Order: sequence, then structure tokens, then C-alpha cells
Amino acid sequence: MSDVSTDSAVARTRLAPVIASIVGVVMLAFLWVLVSADPNSSSEADSPLLGQPAPAVSTTTLDGENFVLSYRKGSWVILNFFNSTCVPCIAEHPELVAFAERESQASNPAELYTVINDDSDDAVRAFFAENGGDWQKVRDSDGSISVAFGVAKVPETWIVDPNGYVRLRVAGSITTGLLDEQLGLLKAQFGS
Amino acid sequence: MSNAASVKNKWTWLLLTLVAVALLVFGGTRDTGPKTQSDRIDAITKVIACPTCQGESVYVSRASAAESIRAEVARQVASGQKTDDEIVAFMEARFGSRVLLVPRSTGLDALVWVLPVFALVCALGTLVFAFRRWSVSGSSTVSDADIEMVEQALRDAE
Repeated sequence: MSDVSTDSAVARTRLAPVIASIVGVVMLAFLWVLVSADPNSSSEADSPLLGQPAPAVSTTTLDGENFVLSYRKGSWVILNFFNSTCVPCIAEHPELVAFAERESQASNPAELYTVINDDSDDAVRAFFAENGGDWQKVRDSDGSISVAFGVAKVPETWIVDPNGYVRLRVAGSITTGLLDEQLGLLKAQFGS
Repeated sequence: MSNAASVKNKWTWLLLTLVAVALLVFGGTRDTGPKTQSDRIDAITKVIACPTCQGESVYVSRASAAESIRAEVARQVASGQKTDDEIVAFMEARFGSRVLLVPRSTGLDALVWVLPVFALVCALGTLVFAFRRWSVSGSSTVSDADIEMVEQALRDAE
């Protein structure tokens, strides 16, 4: 009997390091996955569309004019997805007004457009009449523009370069400083 | 039970298992015929996650983003130019892989499929090993000292 006990103890002694090694390797693999994962940025957000041609957009503005995004090639285009009842949209609005005023005095100004997300024309008109902002507001009545850009929550701001490629996505509120800085960096990198 | 009967029994069980697996594979993969557009929209929206909800599919959710995605799926199904997989891939290309309720079997997502199988194999291997060791330790021989101890106990009990 003592022989059996000894054999069993020896088997256990040999098996323990093997099991411990396997568990250790699995734990290290999990750790590697966590460490190597990209951290989520609070301002610039990731998107599969970055560096890709902008989705086709064809709609109308609140003034009744046609808006086709591909016709805007040659200019930097900023699309701001907006809803007049969304608190962060209301909070960022003065920043956009300041940016638009400053940009209008630039030699090659970027074009700013508001994309109306799940909101009525009247509510948007009333909001802009009260809070300012004379840039174009484009309709997205069926949500197709939001889906095309992968916009789930407003506000979101996208920058499209003069060649029609998506260059930046900012999820959440934006500031004039951030917009100026990012637009400057993009112009330096991809040409104005 | 004789050896011949035991072997026959094993073959019967093996055959039954094979038939069951074959039927399951056939049932799971057979073509159920053409689907209506509504069926396709339902099937696609059930595997796409609502991007603003926690664990809800676009099929279930009534959030604004889910409504927009459902409308886009309906448009693409109606156009008849894309397969179901291509429509799901379109949504992944817009919103990222976070909208996939069924993870891909490639890249890091494959871990979701591989790890449970790996854990199951490890668990089964450990069980087999443990059962074998128990059966070995159960067949240990009785020593003279053991016999003497039992006889002594019986004598004391009388």
C-alpha cells in the first residue's frame, strides 16, 4: 500500500508544475490581450471609415437646396451630427458658432454642415434662430446618413478632406480649440 | 454479459451516436427554401447589436439608432443587391465589430470560439486522468499488517 501511495504522490508532484504552467500561460495570454488593446480616446474616436472614401450622401437642406457630399470635393467638409434636444449638442453649439465665424475669414475656409439627426425641421430652425449659426443644415429623415457614417449617438463631428476621404471622427462634444487644432494638423498632413 | 454481447452493444451505441450527429448536422444546415424580405430583415437585425443599448439586438430595440439601422437593412434587402452576410458586413464596416452579436471566427474574436472548446478538452482530460488514478489506487493490495489489524479488531469485538 505504501508503494501505491508513493507512486501517487510522485505522479501528483510531476503533474502540479504542468497544470500550473498551463494555467500561467492562459493567464499571461489574457493579460497580453488586455495590455495590447487600444485605449479608447475621449476626443478622437476610432472608425472603420477613417482613411476611406466618404459614404455617398445625397439629401436636401432646410432651405430646400440639394446637398451631395461628393460635389463638395475641393473643400474640407465638416459634418456635425446634431439634435436640438441633446444636451451635449446644445453645450457645444457656441463653440461651433465661434469656429464658423473664425473660419469664414480664412482664405480657404472649411465648409461646416449640420446633419439633423432624428429631429424635426421646425425644432432645428427654432434652435438656430435662437442660438445662431448660419451654415447649412442637411436633412437625414430616414437616418441613412447616420448609418452610413456609423453614428449611434449625437453629437458627432466628422472631417472629410478635399479628395473626399474621411480623416477624423470626434464622438461627443467638440471645442473650437480641438477643431482648429485637428483641422490644422490634417491640412498640414493631407494638403489644404 | 459476454464479450460478444458487450462488443455488439458498443457498436449499437456508436451507430446511434453517428446517426444523431448526422441528423443534427442535416437539420442545422439544410436549406429551408426562399425567404421573404421580411424574414431576411428579421434574420439580419437579430444578429446586429443596437449600438446605443446594452446587449439588445436591432430587432428588439426601439432606440433611434436601431430604427435607423433597421430602415437601412430594409432598404438594402429591398434593393436585392446584397446577401444577408454582405449587409451584416456593411454594418460592421460602418459601426465596427461591436455591432456583431455573433463574433467572427477570425482574428482575436476567434478566442470566443476556441477558449470554451479548449476549457472543455482540459476539463475532460483532467476527469479522465482523475478517474484512472482513482481506479489504480482502488486496486491496491492488502498487506499483512492490514489483515492483522482487521483480525485484531474482530477479536476485540467478540
